[in-house]
Amino acid sequence: MPKWALAYLALTLVALAIGFEKAMTAPTEATMGNLYRVFFYHLPHAIISFVFPYLNCVASFAYLYWRNRDADRAAAADAFALASAEMTVLYASIGLATGSLWGRAAWGIWWAWDARMTTYLLLWLLYVSYLILRGVSATGQTGVISAVLAIFAAIDVPICFMSIRWWRTQHPAPVFGDGGSVDPVFFPALLWNMAAWAMWGAFLLGMRYAVERRRQRQAAAYAVGFLGSDTAEGLEGAR
Amino acid sequence: MIPFHTLSERHLVYAYCAVWLLQFGYGIWLAVQWRKSSGP
Repeated sequence: MPKWALAYLALTLVALAIGFEKAMTAPTEATMGNLYRVFFYHLPHAIISFVFPYLNCVASFAYLYWRNRDADRAAAADAFALASAEMTVLYASIGLATGSLWGRAAWGIWWAWDARMTTYLLLWLLYVSYLILRGVSATGQTGVISAVLAIFAAIDVPICFMSIRWWRTQHPAPVFGDGGSVDPVFFPALLWNMAAWAMWGAFLLGMRYAVERRRQRQAAAYAVGFLGSDTAEGLEGAR
Repeated sequence: MIPFHTLSERHLVYAYCAVWLLQFGYGIWLAVQWRKSSGP
């Protein structure tokens, strides 16, 4: 791994440690007490899980554009789409798990079929199905099929994001902007964790992309070697 | 010094454990894949 990547990882781990410290030392919330500290991990993961699907969507468009023009760029876009889809599933899984635990403790229920939670679950299911599709598809069209699915899956993101504005939900209303309910005293813990988990997500995304690019190159080298030997044998046979 | 006594609620502990386990579990899996893909 290059030195700059190790330095970035070290910086990220320091930011995560500071974020944890801020989350633990933030003032105790009046109504929910210490349980409120779930928020410092839940909100950053939920917000970041809305960013990765857009990266996946852009990469999927890029793949469809390049696939008949430049094979290497198309492969790079495909690798990036896969990496961002995995990040979406990872962050959305954490958003679902922490939200459900928080709901159980605060409301007494694990789940409510309101618009926010249902569309968020749908988002998670869409990207899980995307990864399963890529895993089980054995045709040469895997990239195209998954890119089309990714473009349609991204449509759920704005619906999920706006759901707490459009409909009345069990999930709390927006906490930032006009009428936001978060006291500024909680901002340091929230912003540190937002930055730290975004940095960590970017690191994982870059690493997953690099691993997939290596796998693609190894597969291509194997295919060239296989075809090369096959062609040579065929020529030998013809003689 | 981190005041761990603020980590007092059961569900809060579960939530934090879930985050760290999923994030670093995936990170470790990725590190293994990175090593494997390095090749001979």
